[in-house]
Amino acid sequence: MDKRVASESGVSVETLSVSYGARTAVDAVSLAIPKGKITVLAGPNGCGKSTLLRAIRRLHPAKSGRVLLDGLETGRLREKEIAREIGLLGQSPSAPEDMRVEELVRLGRFPHQAMMQPWSAEDATAIEDAMFGTGIGHLRDRRLGSLSGGQLQRVWIAMVLAQETDVICLDEPVNHLDMAHQIDCLDLVSRLNRERGRTVVLVLHDLNLAARYADLLVFMKEGRIVEAGLPRDLMREDLIASVFGIQCRVIEDPVHERPLCIPMRNSSPRFRPVE
Amino acid sequence: MLVALPAGQGRLPLLYAALGLTLCLMLLGSLLLGYRIYSPAELWDALAGTGGEAGTVIREYRLPRAVVAPLVGAALGVSGVLVQTLSRNRIASPDTLGLNAGASLAVVAASAGLGISSLAGLSLAAAVGAFLTSVLVFAVAATAGGLSPLRIVLVGVTFAGLMNALVEVVLTVNEAELQQLLFWLAGAFVDRPLNLVARSLPLLAIGGVLAAMLARPLDALQTDDTTAQSLGAPIRLVRIASFIAVSLLTGASVAMAGPVGFVGLVVPHAARVLSGSRHSRQILVAALIGAIYATGADILARFVIFPTEAPVGAITAVVGAALLLVLLRRRAA
Repeated sequence: MDKRVASESGVSVETLSVSYGARTAVDAVSLAIPKGKITVLAGPNGCGKSTLLRAIRRLHPAKSGRVLLDGLETGRLREKEIAREIGLLGQSPSAPEDMRVEELVRLGRFPHQAMMQPWSAEDATAIEDAMFGTGIGHLRDRRLGSLSGGQLQRVWIAMVLAQETDVICLDEPVNHLDMAHQIDCLDLVSRLNRERGRTVVLVLHDLNLAARYADLLVFMKEGRIVEAGLPRDLMREDLIASVFGIQCRVIEDPVHERPLCIPMRNSSPRFRPVE
Repeated sequence: MLVALPAGQGRLPLLYAALGLTLCLMLLGSLLLGYRIYSPAELWDALAGTGGEAGTVIREYRLPRAVVAPLVGAALGVSGVLVQTLSRNRIASPDTLGLNAGASLAVVAASAGLGISSLAGLSLAAAVGAFLTSVLVFAVAATAGGLSPLRIVLVGVTFAGLMNALVEVVLTVNEAELQQLLFWLAGAFVDRPLNLVARSLPLLAIGGVLAAMLARPLDALQTDDTTAQSLGAPIRLVRIASFIAVSLLTGASVAMAGPVGFVGLVVPHAARVLSGSRHSRQILVAALIGAIYATGADILARFVIFPTEAPVGAITAVVGAALLLVLLRRRAA
């Protein structure tokens, strides 16, 4: 499926800064995102993790610095070119309720089609493949409004999958889902990563889910990367306290053999109860 | 007419054929039915250039209507699809963008202020009014923060309200030509010479081609901005181009027939039910349904207060409201 020659580089971010007006949301961040792995960006609200994700897909212009994709500067790519390389699913994607599942998945083919070009066999294969891979084939004629939250999230992921990009960015994909569907969704993402070799970049709020699914975990605070590394190395009580402002105990999850954080009390002085 | 066919691949040619046939029947009806009802034989003679009085009536009065009505209906149907996708709002229509109000104001102002009373003059004023309004709405929406769908609707509704109020003011102050202007303001296909159509035709053609070219990006624009952008759709460019297409199509139709309400609101709903959410199909189906709807309404307008002609805009509004209620009930069920 991947037509490009394999390269070790993947996506790399070089001293990238992004600002909203006067406020700097991402401040001179450098990060190498390993190809074929799952990278998870984590950090407190407003730390710039979503902005970094969107800037990797060039949805926000860089104030300075650059993003390289297999050594190629993404700033030079045309809209459809970059959309064939990097897919992104936002925090709360929306589409008309009376749209049918297959119609939404088809939208993933948009960057592969010229203006008046007819639907190709390749397009058809890609959407069948995406629907099969996400297990939504039986839903194809259903209207989006009739789906459950978990089903809907699978449909959106299928749309991004149909885009056939090497890199897939998901911004808080499990935000609105219950526990069972959170695991279901992230298992799906991790399976797609393993079986299809897609590079995945996730923004996740839940630190334990982040530690469980990440190959590379990135902690951000105030627009900067505090530390990036293996979950085992990052899930330290002192580091979590300084990044997330919470005192915690880290134990090993006996099932997945990954670190598990048990939050105890807010360590930030702002939230200390008056004694 | 509105049988709920699922939008499967196989049924699509059938749908186009059914709509095409319905349109042909409507056109035939538009030529034959009216104050006098003619036979197909008389129509044949008339089209051959003979047929005496019947021939004259058909050629001079019925034929222009049978050309103007479907063109206006198709243009408004397509522009309704564009507006609803552009604004991500299913109750939006060219009226929502203030285009009809702008055209009305321009016509009333031209009549009261400049003393223009010829049909060609008023029709030019209408087109200019629609264009200026679209530029105004677009400029305000764009400068006040980035062309968001909600902002486009809010700005449009605001200007529509303002301009309609101004129309009332001018009409109240200037009662002399009230009767003629009121009829114009309700929209009508009566007494529109074919050269008026010829002048609007290029606008319709450009608007239609533009709409067809925008079909695929508009599919992507049905999603939120982040998704549409991630898919590689140049959303700003698509919005600007759609706006141009809408103002061309609406401007041309308002110049031909005045502000015919409700077509641009109802037709996209019917088109979506029949053809699904893909714009390549939706636009074509909306054009056909719009043509059928406007032609049908024009026939009906000849009979509801027989022998007097009712303004077609009133018919499209009444029928349209009923149709919309049925469609909304179907959606809810």
